[in-house]
Order: sequence, then structure tokens, then C-alpha cells
Amino acid sequence: MSQAALKDTSVDVFEKKQEWWWAAEKKRSTRLDYLRKAIWKKGAIGGLYAPGVKVDLERAKLHTQKAKEMEASPDPFVMKFAKILAHVLDHKTIFITDQAQLVGYTGSLPHTMAWDPSCASILNEEAYNDPTAIPEPVEENQQAIREICNYWIGKSDLDKMMPVFDMEDLMKMLSGSIGWGVPLARGGYSNKDYEYIMTGKRAFGDIIEELDRKIDEVDAEVHKPGATAETAKMYDKLNNWDAMKITLEAGIRIAERYARLARIIAENFEEDPERKEELLKIAEACEQVPAKPPRTLQESFQYDIFIQMMSRNEAIEGAWPSRPDYYHGPYYDKDVNIDKTLTKEEALDLVGEFLIRAAEVCQFKPKWTREGLQGIDGTWVWTMGGVKKDGSDACNDLTIAFMQAARLVRVANPTFSFRWHPKVSDEVMREIFECIRQGLGYPSMRHDPVLIANSMHWHGHPIEEARTWVHQACLSPCPTTKRGYQPMRMANATANCAKIIEYVFTSGFDHVVNMQVGAETPDVTTLTNFEEFFGVWIEQMKTIFSILVRAVNRARMLAPTLTPRPFLSGISERSIESGLDTCEPSLARGNAWITAFTWVENIDSLAAVKKLVFDEKKYTLAELKEALAKNWEGSEEMRLDFVRNAPKWGNDDDYVDDIMLRCLDEAAKFSKVLKCPSGNNWPILPENVSGNIHYANIVGALPNGRRLGDALYDGGVSPGPGLDKNGPTAVLKSCGKIDHITGGRAFLLNQRLSPTQLAGEKGYQLWRAYMRTWADLGIDHIQFNMVDDKTLRSAQKDPEKYQEVIVRVAGYSAHFVDISRKTQDNIIQRTVQGL
Amino acid sequence: MTTCQECKSFFPLEEDQARGDCVQRVKDPRQAYYMAKPVNAEDDCSSCASFHKKEFVQ
Repeated sequence: MSQAALKDTSVDVFEKKQEWWWAAEKKRSTRLDYLRKAIWKKGAIGGLYAPGVKVDLERAKLHTQKAKEMEASPDPFVMKFAKILAHVLDHKTIFITDQAQLVGYTGSLPHTMAWDPSCASILNEEAYNDPTAIPEPVEENQQAIREICNYWIGKSDLDKMMPVFDMEDLMKMLSGSIGWGVPLARGGYSNKDYEYIMTGKRAFGDIIEELDRKIDEVDAEVHKPGATAETAKMYDKLNNWDAMKITLEAGIRIAERYARLARIIAENFEEDPERKEELLKIAEACEQVPAKPPRTLQESFQYDIFIQMMSRNEAIEGAWPSRPDYYHGPYYDKDVNIDKTLTKEEALDLVGEFLIRAAEVCQFKPKWTREGLQGIDGTWVWTMGGVKKDGSDACNDLTIAFMQAARLVRVANPTFSFRWHPKVSDEVMREIFECIRQGLGYPSMRHDPVLIANSMHWHGHPIEEARTWVHQACLSPCPTTKRGYQPMRMANATANCAKIIEYVFTSGFDHVVNMQVGAETPDVTTLTNFEEFFGVWIEQMKTIFSILVRAVNRARMLAPTLTPRPFLSGISERSIESGLDTCEPSLARGNAWITAFTWVENIDSLAAVKKLVFDEKKYTLAELKEALAKNWEGSEEMRLDFVRNAPKWGNDDDYVDDIMLRCLDEAAKFSKVLKCPSGNNWPILPENVSGNIHYANIVGALPNGRRLGDALYDGGVSPGPGLDKNGPTAVLKSCGKIDHITGGRAFLLNQRLSPTQLAGEKGYQLWRAYMRTWADLGIDHIQFNMVDDKTLRSAQKDPEKYQEVIVRVAGYSAHFVDISRKTQDNIIQRTVQGL
Repeated sequence: MTTCQECKSFFPLEEDQARGDCVQRVKDPRQAYYMAKPVNAEDDCSSCASFHKKEFVQ
């Protein structure tokens, strides 16, 4: 829309037309408007990054240069690695954007993506082979990338791990057929011990003092007369503590660099007195944090940004577990309500900018990740609301400020997920509803009492710890405590579950990647009844899950020595105490889960086989096997029979719903057989991100009537698009039959609601009634799209005019124009529920 | 040889005048910002496109 048209149209008119994105642009402050438009979009579309976004060669060169220098060093690996991380932070380019009040970015310049060449050689080859992401001059820089790639061959984390993995398992996992992850501690995401580092009790300087005490104590101990096995272990602890200290000191130094830059700008370049003051405030904030605990809301946000930046300097972080209203709330209260040093509007500017800083974060990632997470860099699912450790309501004024800021800046990522409980106030619920109604696609809603009980059931977290939970990534709760937090993406054991039912028909042979992946089960045509058929399904399920879990378990066991995380350890109480790397399994209680992509395809397929083959005897397994092998070619009538005349999940039909419960029951039983290296369970978690599109050409034809190449269902326990025929209550009733405490870790449910029906007070009351049903049925999750087809189709035709339209894809939100056409069409296909 | 310490963009560290930052103003297609890159006072910048001679060199 032209600036003139925008200026001449009132906010009311835009809101009446439900063009929320234009209304937001008019309502937000000049600062927020500038900063919002300043973001370089880092999400990929169809696997490709947006024009102008480039790989950060500087970071890769600094990392590689220091690694080469350190080769001859006698330092143990963890110390070398810490020194490399410090070198990068000491020498990287930094910047401060005009009008910004918060600083800190993973790359060197705003349009760059931080690239860590030490994680995986296969990732490095992608940097080399993608000329669109190589900075100018392309030829020269491609040569530089080649030299970096060549250096890391054989030296990257994955290269070091491969010889010590079960090669058969690893090949199957990395084949692209059954898995979505690489078994690496530094490739995934980490939660944090926020109870240790974000409660205002300590900061980096305090931890360094503690480390010095530990080092002095143990140093004295090892030099006493005598020597034992215990003494021998202490040297590794000394090395770990030293490495932690190196990274924390580097964190303080880079903050000081930002402070210095802010002062240089204020004193030498900036003429506006107000902006000079702001720059001096930035300098003060960066001189305070992360060395000392924050004192103000600005410093609290700044501290958080530095922690995230440093964590991303150390590892690929594909998520951002956070509970920002809970941990930053006390500072908001102090500044706005008690000391009154900030007005609500000034605080809203800071909150909005904090969202923007998070939205712009990016690390270069492999193509399969980008295809599964279209439009975003990673899933920054921020957890809001919930309860405190004593069970009382944790919502505060900052909870509301975040909802209001989100509606103003309309970033797709971070996305919010709200921990609902019966004592949430109407005021907060109305703010949540406004976000959903204005088409943000978030917050998603989580049933807090169910999920706290779930955490206690599956992983034995004590209730006080369970209550601290944040989303580790899209959906799974994880405590933020000493023993509860999880330092690595155990869900690198993500399973493409549609392969389970596919392999029943192929005896485990995968025709897409042309190798034996699943179990070598009997020829399906020899099975004589549904129970035998289901037995084979169970065997394939166990085989696929076991392959993935074995690989990830191995990575976790090896992580402390082969791929340590000195910075993450340095902000974790269990590592400061013990001197061990934070990935050491014995220090943690365990919080693993298997993310189960493409789960419901199994249910609908099993129901179709049961009905049309075994109950009605309309087809034989031989006929079905042949039809699937030919991708239904020549069997369209048969295919439509399987689509239309077999019951589908999500219609409150016990025939198929009972099959869902049986499948979950078998998975839940097996989840307790599988154990993580901390000795805990591996429950499943059905959800998809955009795996339904990514796997479209990888999963073959299925008995639910699907062809190879068709988009899969959008995930979790959501019914297939258009297959839920009996209205929204039927969907909830189907989902409500699942026990969301013991049935699995969590269950994603997408629903699409009509923006017209949910307008005004009547709309709010309708939604509240719907949510009461959801809560009463004990369903753990639900998320909404509330954008009409007309807007989405217009956005497809004219994307420039609809840049800030957001949709809920799966466990995350994205701008509609930033996802592929296939994904867009898939979202439009989702049934609009009338309440 | 022209060195960084002769340039307007060079800001030495108080505690070590041999090191400092090269501070530049940048306007990219989306935003304007100031950037700082660590450099040494004696670094050769004869071929630096951003070099602007300071009026006085210390």
C-alpha cells in the first residue's frame, strides 16, 4: 500500500476490514515501524534464502583461522574450543542499528547468517554449492568457502562422530527417509538452566568468581600428598572449569565492545540529543550485563539477548526456549509500576524491539531443515503464562505487554504459546484472543495442569520443577532447572512415521531411497487378519524408533568429550558444581521425546485397511499392495474408495478413534522400553512443522488414498485437511479420547476458525465456550489460524501487499508470503470450523 | 604505507593505543547502522576504499 493511502486511511477502517497488518503499521511507534521494516527476512522459501541474505564468511574465517593456530596447542579439546569461541567474539564485526535500544546479533552484519563450519562437513558443502547465499564477489568468496570446507573435512563434529556410530543406523537416519535430524549435541537446540542464570541472583561475573573458587579448591586438592582414581578425574574438571571461564569472560568483553561502540557513536557521530542519551543508555546496559545482574527491563532483555547470542556462537540453536514474561516480568513491574522510570508506551517499544531482535536471528542451516521450517530460521516458541512454582498464577503485566507488542510488530517468530490454567484472568484471555483474532496464528494454547502432570508422569520431574516448564522447541515441555533442563535436541530422533505404514507393505524396503530401512517383516499378502497386520505395524514402529533413538543416545553419551559446550556449561549450575560438561547424562534427569511427524496417516490407513480389506473384504491385501506400488495408477476408483469410504480421524467415530488409541498405547508401552542415557523414557510427540510438505516426495502411496507427491496431513493429531466433516466439537471429542497425560508427550492440534464469526464480543464468548470444551476434555494443545481464504488467495496473487499476514503452519507461525505455494495451498485447504 | 591510525574511522582503545576499532556508517537496503571492526593501528589500509585521512595523526 502506498504511504499516501496508508496515511489517509484510519485505523478504524483497517480494523473493520480486518486488515490488521495495515492497522498495526499505523498504530506502532515510529521507532518500532522503522525497526520492523529493518529486518532482513531470514526464513527460507522452498529451501532457498531470500535475495540479499548471505552466509557470514567472516565468522567462518575467524573460527577456522583460530582452529588452525590451535592445532599444535597441547590444550585439551574443550579448552581449544573455548578459545576459538572467545576469538570469534573478540574479533567479529559488531553493529548498532539506528533507533535500536537493544544490541547483539549472531552474524557480523544485519543481512548475514552466522555459519559455524565446525559442526558438519555436509553443511559446509551446502554453503559452497549455494551461489545465492555466497556474498559478493561470488567467485572469490566461493574459493574462500572451498578452503574452509577443505580444512574441516574429517574434523567437524559429525566427521568425528561417524566412526564411533553404528554405521547402519546412521545411514538409515541420514538417508532422508525416516528421520529429520542429525545426532549431534551442537546441532539442534538447548534449553537453559534459567532458574540459575535468569532470576537476578547472579550473572557472569559471579559465576567466574565461583569458578575461580572451585579451581583453587581442586587445584589444592590434587597437589596434596597422595593420589587416587578420584584425583585423576579432577584434572578434567579443572579443564572444563577453565573453558567455562574463558567463554564467560569473552561474553563480558563483547558486551563491552558494544558499550564502546555506542559511546563512540554518541560522542563522534550522533547529533540528536535524544538519540545520544539512548546510546549512552545502551552503553550503560552493556557495561552492566552480562557481567552483573540486570537492574532494569532494558538490561534484562539485553542480558537475554547476549546469552542467546553466545549460545548461538557455540552451537546451532534451532529453537529458543524462553519464558520471557516470567523472567523479565519483575523488571517490567519495577520500571513501569514501582519506580515509574518507564511509561507503558516506552516499555512497549522495548518489548516490541525485543521481539524484533529475536525475529532477525539466523544461523546457516542445511536445506532439509529449511524445507521443514519454511519461512523461519528456527522455532522460537516463547512460553507465556502458566503458574509459578507454588502453583499460583504467573501472568503479569508483561504477559499483556507481550501480547500487545506482538500485535504491533507482527513478527511470525518468536511465536507465543500460552500455558492456560483455570485461574487465568479474563483480561489476559481477551489479550490472547485479540492476537488470534488479528491473525497472528499465536498464541497456541497449552493445558497447563495436564502438561505438568504429563512431565511428572513421563520423566519424574518433581511438581515444583515441572511447573517451571518452557517449550523446549515447538511443543515439548522442559523444566528450566538444574537437573530438569535438557542441553541438546534429543528429538534429533524425529521420525517420519508415515513410513511405518508404508513399510508394512514393502517389508521395510524403502523404494524412494532404495535401501532396506525398516524391519524385514513378512510379505503383507501373507497376513490373514487385522491383528496380524497390526502386529507388523507395531514391529515397523519399534524398528524405526529404535534406529533413531540409538543414534541420538550415542551422540549424547559422546557429547561431553567429542562435542563439549563450555559456554552452556558455564551458565548451568550442575556443571559449575560438578566440573562436568552439561551434556553429561548422569547430571540430568532426562527429558527426551521422539517427535512423530506424519502420525495420523497411520491411523487413517489402518482404519481403511481394517474396513475395506478385512471387514468388508472388498479388496485383498495383494490388490492393495499392487495399487500402492503403482502409486494408484490405473486404480483411481479404488483410491477414491479408500479416501471416501473409510472412516477418518477427527470425526468422533470410535471405529477409527479406537485405532488411534491402540497405536498410541503401543507407542507408549515401547516409550518405556526405550531409555535415554540419563535412564529416562522416550515418549512420542505427534507434530509436523512443515514436514508434511518436505516429505511429500519421500513418502509413497498410502492406504488412506494418498499418492506419492501429495502433501501429507498437517500434523500432530490434526485431521487430514478437509477430512473432518462433523464440525469442531467432533474434532475435539476425537482428540479428547486420548489421555494427554499418559498417551504421549504432547499432541499438536491445528484448527482454522472464521474471522467473521469470531468478531466482537459475541466472537470472544464463542471462543471462550470452545476453549472450555477443549479444557474440559483435557486436550493439551490447540492452535488457530484465523485468516479467511479471500485474504490468503489475495496474498498469493499480490504478496508485496500482504507482507505481514501470518499463518500458523504447524508448531510455529510464518508469514504467509514466506512459505512455498504448496504449503500455502495446504493451509487454505484446512477446514474452517464454524463454532 | 597508509595505516589505520591515519584514518578518521579509527578509534584507538584507551588502554592500548596500538589497537582499536574501525567504525563505519552503513546504509543497506533495509536499515542504517554503525559497525565496528577490530583493527590494529599499524594495519596497512592503502587499498581500503573507506579510508579518509584524519586531520592530525597522533
